[in-house]
Amino acid sequence: MKRDLFLVLVIVVGLLAAALLTHWNEEHSRDPRVQSADEQLYLDGPAMKRLTLAFNGIAADWYWMRSLQYVGRKMVAYEDTHTGNLDLNSLSFLDLRLLPALLRMTTILDPQFLEPYYYGALILPSLNPDEAISLLNQGIAANPHVWRLYQHLGYIYWQRGDYNKASEVYAAGAKIPGVPPWMMAMSARMKAEGGASQAAREMYTHLSESSEDPTVKQMVKTQLMRLDSLEERDKIRRVLSDYTNRNGHCATSWKETSAALPAAGLRINASGAPLDPTNVPYRLIKNGCDVDLGERSELPRR
Amino acid sequence: MYVLAGRHVFAIARNAFREAVRDRVLYNLVVFVLLLIAGAIFLGEISAGQEAKILVDLGLSAILLFGVFIAIFVGVGLVYKEIERRTLYAILSKPIGRGEFLLGKYLGLCLTLLVNVAIMGVGLSLALLYVQRGWDPLLVRIWPAILLIYVELLILTGVAMLFSAFSSPALSALLAFFVFVIGHFSADLKTLAKSMGSAPSRWVFAGLYYLLPNFANYNSITAAAHGQVTDGRAIAAAAAYGAVYVAVLLAATTLIFSRRNLK
Repeated sequence: MKRDLFLVLVIVVGLLAAALLTHWNEEHSRDPRVQSADEQLYLDGPAMKRLTLAFNGIAADWYWMRSLQYVGRKMVAYEDTHTGNLDLNSLSFLDLRLLPALLRMTTILDPQFLEPYYYGALILPSLNPDEAISLLNQGIAANPHVWRLYQHLGYIYWQRGDYNKASEVYAAGAKIPGVPPWMMAMSARMKAEGGASQAAREMYTHLSESSEDPTVKQMVKTQLMRLDSLEERDKIRRVLSDYTNRNGHCATSWKETSAALPAAGLRINASGAPLDPTNVPYRLIKNGCDVDLGERSELPRR
Repeated sequence: MYVLAGRHVFAIARNAFREAVRDRVLYNLVVFVLLLIAGAIFLGEISAGQEAKILVDLGLSAILLFGVFIAIFVGVGLVYKEIERRTLYAILSKPIGRGEFLLGKYLGLCLTLLVNVAIMGVGLSLALLYVQRGWDPLLVRIWPAILLIYVELLILTGVAMLFSAFSSPALSALLAFFVFVIGHFSADLKTLAKSMGSAPSRWVFAGLYYLLPNFANYNSITAAAHGQVTDGRAIAAAAAYGAVYVAVLLAATTLIFSRRNLK
């Protein structure tokens, strides 16, 4: 009895001591997770596929979750050291050098796993557009009947300003049976007016409609607000230009244009400053001759 | 005569199954259930909406992995334990042939694997029901993959028994595991055979490709996770291949075991 009690005591005390030592180690050494976060993958995709035998599916899932954790950890680390939130439009601030390799590994292990292609299409263009295009081309080769891959590839070419290529990709995707009719329309649109604001608006709307990912929907919402803001700034510039023409000098404050701005369809606050779609006032720049987003505005600057 | 032999085989198979249950072989089901419960609860948090796909991958991979361990580690001990305990002499002193004994033992383990795989399949279906909050086509589409895994395990059991007919359990387990690994490399063996410069090397690798079990025929876990069903003809061909291969393995095992000096 006494011996049993002693052994139980050893187990409990031993476990407690182990937990305390682990805690002490974490406090007094560099976080190994941070150190290993960017560790390169030692095996290439085809070799890994062979080694995983019949378990390539679960290995792909593992790399997929690792990709998500990798990005998530970097975002948390960034937000811990910077002010403001980080969204999909500004991921280039993060050093995500391992992400292309992780997504590539996932899709080689399971070429029909579509989510990593979609994820790569949204995240990679701001980091490495060529890698994003290559990943999607690999996805299209493995899944030639999935029109959303063409949509994402067209979107990346459009982002790069390569409207002819975007048009070609949309046209190729439009040939797939059962594809939404707007794919063909987007092809024509890209060719005719790829850089136009309305084409961008349609692009984002279709992207949001064809995705169930809340992150994508949030990114699209932000981008649509950015487009609204661009249109608003064009209107404000016209008002400022009219004021300059009438008075021979630029406006010194928003009060001087507070009557003209609502007439142009803009919302203003109590001090007469026009509001952006996030309700942050715009600010006058260049001695009142031009307008820019307010400093507190969370809209993307580009 | 055939009826009598059938009764002998049935009795040995039943005992082999009971022994496996007594040896707590089915305890792996507890680990499997815990794995699925953990998967069902936590995957939603970390998989970005892919919990059903990952749960199927996890469940089917676990069915295969646990099945491989049972087929190899129980398979290699089927005959060896009877010799060690000297119960084999009591059995063979009766009018029971060595072939009947081996077939009975094999079928007993097949029954154990069937129960194991079927319960795991039902467990996976229930976990999917929970994750998908109701009916999902995956609930049906995983079963052809489970059937193929079962056939693969039947072949592997035969391989383990073949090795155990002439070597120690540890070596048999190692060799059977090698066959499992090489069986999944069969496509590479074929490519290797084609790329070889000399004709004898080509023949050796082509021979290995055709002689070793081709487990690539049974690998439909990834497709099942995407909701794809292996077509009936492929399943029938895989089952026929399995039946032929198991017959060959059992014949070889019987041939070796019947020549073995048990004194």
